Amino acid sequence: MPIKRVDRRTLLAAGTTAVATAAAGCVDTFVGGESGNDDVVLDPPENYDRRKDLDIPYPTYGEQIPDVSVPAPLHDRTVSTREFVGERHVMMTFIYTSCRTVCPGLTASLRQVQADSVEQEYADEIAFLPTTFDPKQDTPERLRTYGEEMGVNDDADNWYFLRPETPEAAKRVVEDTFGVAFESGEGGHGGDTEATMFQHASVVLLVNKDGFVERAYNGGPPGASEARTDARAVIEGW
Amino acid sequence: MKRREVIAGVGSLAVLGGGAALAFNNTGSDGSSFESLQLETIDAPGSSDGAVTVPERGRVTVLELFATWCGVCESMMSEMATAHQRLGREVQFVSVTNEPLGETVTREDVSAWWADHQGAWTLGADTDLTLTQRLDAKGVPYTVVFDAENRIAWRHRGRTDAATLTTAIGNARTE
Repeated sequence: MPIKRVDRRTLLAAGTTAVATAAAGCVDTFVGGESGNDDVVLDPPENYDRRKDLDIPYPTYGEQIPDVSVPAPLHDRTVSTREFVGERHVMMTFIYTSCRTVCPGLTASLRQVQADSVEQEYADEIAFLPTTFDPKQDTPERLRTYGEEMGVNDDADNWYFLRPETPEAAKRVVEDTFGVAFESGEGGHGGDTEATMFQHASVVLLVNKDGFVERAYNGGPPGASEARTDARAVIEGW
Repeated sequence: MKRREVIAGVGSLAVLGGGAALAFNNTGSDGSSFESLQLETIDAPGSSDGAVTVPERGRVTVLELFATWCGVCESMMSEMATAHQRLGREVQFVSVTNEPLGETVTREDVSAWWADHQGAWTLGADTDLTLTQRLDAKGVPYTVVFDAENRIAWRHRGRTDAATLTTAIGNARTE
C-alpha cells in the first residue's frame, strides 16, 4: 500500500506538539528556534543540542549538501550530487567494497530503504548514491558485483554507484567536499591476495528534495528500521 | 502508514500518549515480559516453511537477527551452531534475517546461505521489521537471550562466541 502523503505543514505541527508533550525541556528550542526550520521535515536528532556547536566536518542536520560531479560508471554518465534537488530525496554513503565490517551495513541501510521504496511505491521519489573512495580496487565491474551481493534492485532505477576515477579525486570528493575522512591502512596495496584496508568515518546522509540533510547518521550505520522510519517520514511529510 | 507512527518516527520519542506508548515501551528489557510475536519461517535445514512464536514462554529463547550480506553474521554461524549443539534440546534457537526478501534476495537464497553455514535450527524472517523495531536493534548481528518468562536476560550487538552465549543462556536459565 502506498504511503499517504500528508501536508508538510501539518506534519511539522504534529511533530512539534509531540515533542512539546514529551520533553518540556526542549520546548524552547522549538519556539522560534533555528530547529523550527522550514528546510527540513524531521525534528532535530536526539543529540542535536549537544552537537550543534561542534565543528562537524560532514553536512549535518539542516545543512545543504555540497555539489560535486562524480562518474557513475554503471550508468555511463556523470552524476552531480545536487542534480536531484527539486526532484528526489537522496540517500548517500561512502564506502569501499573490500570492507567487511561497517561498510556492508552502510550499504545495507540504503538497500533497506530502496526495497521499501519499491514496496511502498516511492521509488521515483528517492535516489541512492553510495560513493566509493577506493577507485583502485573498486572498478566498475567490482561495483556491479558488490551491488548484486547486496541485493540492489537495478529495475528501481534509483541506485547510482559513484566512483571518483582516481585516489586523488576520491580525496577531493569524499574527504574535502563531503567531510568524510578516510585513510588507507595496512594491506596488499593492490596485490592479488590481500585488499588494501581503510580507516574511514562512517556516515549515511538522508537528504530531502530541497537538498537539505534530514539525518546524518554517523558512528555506524542506522538500524534497518530507523533508516526506513526516517525515510518514510520524509516522504510522507513532504 | 498511520500518522501516529509517523510522529513517533519523526521525534524518536520515548514518551508518547495513548496506545503508542504501550506498543513502543513493551520491550521486555525493564523486567517486563517481551510480548511474543509470530514470525514467518523459511524452509531450510532445521527449519520448515510456516510460522514461529518468539520468544516462547516456558523456556529460554536465543534469538539472533542477521542478514546474508553480513560477514560478521557469517562468522557467527559456527558459534551459534556450537551453542545449539550443546543446548538446542532445552532452549529455543531462532535466527531471523531482517533484510528485504523476495525482490532481489529470495527466501531460497537465504535458505541456501543457511545450508552453507551450518544452520540447523529455526530460520525466520522479519520482513516488515516489526521485531527489529521492537528490539530497537541498530545493526546485525544482534543477539538476545530471553528467560522462560520472556524477559530479556542478555542482549548484544556485534560478534559473540559460543562460550559467551552458553554463559548468557545459563544465567537466563537460573534466573
